[in-house]
Amino acid sequence: MIATNIRRLGLYLMVAFAVVSASSVWWQVVEAQQLATRPDNPEVLFARRTLPRGTIFDAGGQVLASSALVNGLSVRTYVDPAFTHVIGYASHRFGTTGIERAFEDLLVGQTDPNPLRELVRDVLDRQPQPRDLTLTIDRRLQDFAAAQLGSSAGAVVALDPNTGAVLALVSAPTFDATPISGDPDQAQGPMDALRADPAEPLLPRARQGQYVPGSIMKVLTAAAALDAGVITPETTFEDQPQQEVDGFVVDGFAIREHDLGTVQPALWDRSEALQVSSNIYFAHVGLELGGEAFVQYARRFGFCQALEVGPADRALGAIASYLTAPEEGDCSAFDGEVGLASTAFGQGEAVVTPLQMALLASAIAGGGVMPAPYVVSEVRAHSEDGQPSGTVLDTLGSPGGTRVISTEAAAATRAAMIDAVNGELGRLFAGQADITLYGISGQRSAGKTGTAQLGGEQAPHSWFIGFAPGEEGATPQIAIAVLVEGGGSGAELAAPIGGRVMAEWLRLDGSGS
Amino acid sequence: MRITWRSAELRLLVPILFAVPLGFAITNIALTDTLDPGSMHLALGYVGLFVVAHLALVLFGHRGDQLILPAVGAMGGIGLIMLNRLPQDLAGTSGFGVQLGMAETQLLWFGVGMVLMVAVAVGLRDYGVLRHYKYSWAAIGILLLAATLLLGYEVNGARLWIDLGPVSVQPGEPLKIVLVIFIAAYLAETRTLLTSATMRIGPVHFPPLPYFLPMLVLFGAVMLIVVRLNDLGTALLFFGTFLTMLFVATGRRSYVLIGLILFVAGAFVAYRLFGHVQSRVDIWVDPFADPLGRGFQPVRALYALGRGGLFGEGLGQGLVMLGSGLTIPYVHTDFIFTAIAEELGLLGAFALLGFAAVLVFRGLRIATLAHEDFGALLAVGLMTSLGLQALIIIGGNTKLIPLTGITLPFVSYGGSSIVASFLMIGLLLAISHRGVTGEQEAPNRS
Repeated sequence: MIATNIRRLGLYLMVAFAVVSASSVWWQVVEAQQLATRPDNPEVLFARRTLPRGTIFDAGGQVLASSALVNGLSVRTYVDPAFTHVIGYASHRFGTTGIERAFEDLLVGQTDPNPLRELVRDVLDRQPQPRDLTLTIDRRLQDFAAAQLGSSAGAVVALDPNTGAVLALVSAPTFDATPISGDPDQAQGPMDALRADPAEPLLPRARQGQYVPGSIMKVLTAAAALDAGVITPETTFEDQPQQEVDGFVVDGFAIREHDLGTVQPALWDRSEALQVSSNIYFAHVGLELGGEAFVQYARRFGFCQALEVGPADRALGAIASYLTAPEEGDCSAFDGEVGLASTAFGQGEAVVTPLQMALLASAIAGGGVMPAPYVVSEVRAHSEDGQPSGTVLDTLGSPGGTRVISTEAAAATRAAMIDAVNGELGRLFAGQADITLYGISGQRSAGKTGTAQLGGEQAPHSWFIGFAPGEEGATPQIAIAVLVEGGGSGAELAAPIGGRVMAEWLRLDGSGS
Repeated sequence: MRITWRSAELRLLVPILFAVPLGFAITNIALTDTLDPGSMHLALGYVGLFVVAHLALVLFGHRGDQLILPAVGAMGGIGLIMLNRLPQDLAGTSGFGVQLGMAETQLLWFGVGMVLMVAVAVGLRDYGVLRHYKYSWAAIGILLLAATLLLGYEVNGARLWIDLGPVSVQPGEPLKIVLVIFIAAYLAETRTLLTSATMRIGPVHFPPLPYFLPMLVLFGAVMLIVVRLNDLGTALLFFGTFLTMLFVATGRRSYVLIGLILFVAGAFVAYRLFGHVQSRVDIWVDPFADPLGRGFQPVRALYALGRGGLFGEGLGQGLVMLGSGLTIPYVHTDFIFTAIAEELGLLGAFALLGFAAVLVFRGLRIATLAHEDFGALLAVGLMTSLGLQALIIIGGNTKLIPLTGITLPFVSYGGSSIVASFLMIGLLLAISHRGVTGEQEAPNRS
């Protein structure tokens, strides 16, 4: 009887041996090709140790990152830490991030994903040709914006609302990527220090930081409600003045106004409500709009999905923004009126990235057309002399824009944002974003501040989104989102930073005077 | 006295006598780009050991299985070629004024193991005595575990080693043997009771508890301590061996089913309770999620398998080092299969699996030829232990199952493992000898 059992055991073991053999076949035959072409393949990484890497220039032709061979090792030098969270790093030990990763194949000149053809090329002894890249970012604006943030943690994202070209993409704190991009044996120490730093300098906040939006969300609420026809510029809510005092009870939960300072409650229309940033007015608007429509509009503006800066195959990734607690990476439905009303004025469960909010500002500035952002404008032949080569191999223009709301809804929202900075009431809150304070005369900026309450003892995040020039008839040249972590009220910190950066760009661009 | 030649064994050993030195030479030529054959003394020492073992078995008139020794020789030979090719300072011994590199140390342990193998194969031909001391074996097993628990020190998060002056010992290795002997003895005794008197609930047979309890208690203790010691590979191996022996003794698939359900439940609890288990499983599910951090080792191993492809990169031509570091950490123990599969390709991997399969199926044959239950169960247990260990670690290398830190018998670097594996082979040979001589001495065969 034991003999029978042993024979049966033999059969089972044969199956086990067959399965284990098959698993070996899987990796050694079926998946071998796919493994060989993966970008994190250690062999590929190792081969790249000796390959020269292309130079990265700013929009004005200044070198931002360059490589040199030191004792046979390709060593990368980064000129300006303000660009670290855009360019990323190319480390022999820790792999690549940012543009270094997205444009890896062009930068090292290994453009052929097929290793067999690569091999043929080796036989023909053609060395890989590195390519240089030119960014859309002007170093002067990037450095100016970084200096404005100073030692605060936060982000500044500036876009050209007409093309989607990134004008500034600042995340603070930042770090010098040079020490981790040279000798791999020397790289561990600096990296460990960065990883252990409680300030999280490795986090590219502009793209990967999720923050409570606060009142800047009211721009989205207003734009969506105007486009849906739920409100007009003249809409008022007659119960609102009394509710400013007593609180607005939704589902048994009292929504309260924020501190309005010297402003007295009145029957505000949409422009006035945005100027004073009334929570209760926008709670009404959100409830009128309804949760489903609100999520749908947010989706049009890019919420609920990961964003990309640049063409899909060579993009800098950005984490998604959400109105509600995400489910499997997508927005879920609002689970009640309180959540909807709170999100409509920027609290609730909403989390957003600075990049997403800059896109929101761009869409309003662009008359309802939201541009697709991009940050690399040109691929050029490699030059050794620190000047961009005259040979432009490829021009990467705007990937195009999408209409998200009607021209009329955008114009009405834009008018309210002009009032929010320049109006009689608005000046009290966002007046510091007025570009005429920073030497730009005859032009006006539009915007909205936000003070994101985090609950408990935590200092609120300070937000500003806006664009300039914003007055009727002018074509906005810059749209911006500014975030200062724990910066207090939006009026105090983020608004003046936004105003200064917009003014600086109009000056540099020549469209301001 | 008439000499009984072991001619099949000799014929099968001859190719190994040539292949191992040739492998050493090819590796060194590829590595150094010279015609220097390299550490030929190690290769010759290795094949010498097998010649001597063969002659010793002939001299003592041993008539046990003749395929086992060549299969072990082939596995060990491939392993030693690879260990000799890896950086020699990965492991080694120093003491008594001698400094030995990794391959030299491994060869030394082969010597010790093979002396013990011949001694057991010859001296324990009357292996039946082992069953009389079954509770002594249980006690020794518990002592071994207690010693590890109290005196053990940690390497890579698992507390497996005991320091004995010049050498460190892994008590889990001898424990494997002790446990197999105990279970075989116990099952041989209670087998009929376990199969005849069963409780039945619905279609599922349950074992009668009183006969089962002592073994379950001992086994539970072992499992608990092994999980406490963080040695998941050994726990899986013990459990698999136990279930296999139980199946062979009783023929009841329901027992195995219950065992598997218990194992899955236990694994789930362990996953929820222990961070290190969770981390292992997460890495297993998607090592590419963190290829430069936690997934570093398995991801590097998969790339190595991919580089190897069908025919391999050739001996001495694999990507063992990247810059100043090993491409795959612990390549000489946990990932020796991957290193071999990289340089010898899928063909080499299949060869290795094939030799392991020869061992396993010869072990099963020995079990069927044994004349009494204890011998059959002992052979099944020893063979399953060796075979499962190979399958578990190779499956871990190929991401079939979560990676666990156990050795590939006769191939991975490690003295405790080599010696224990040879002791098991010695026992198998002893059982085989009894089976063969018993059969031939039977009157109807003469």
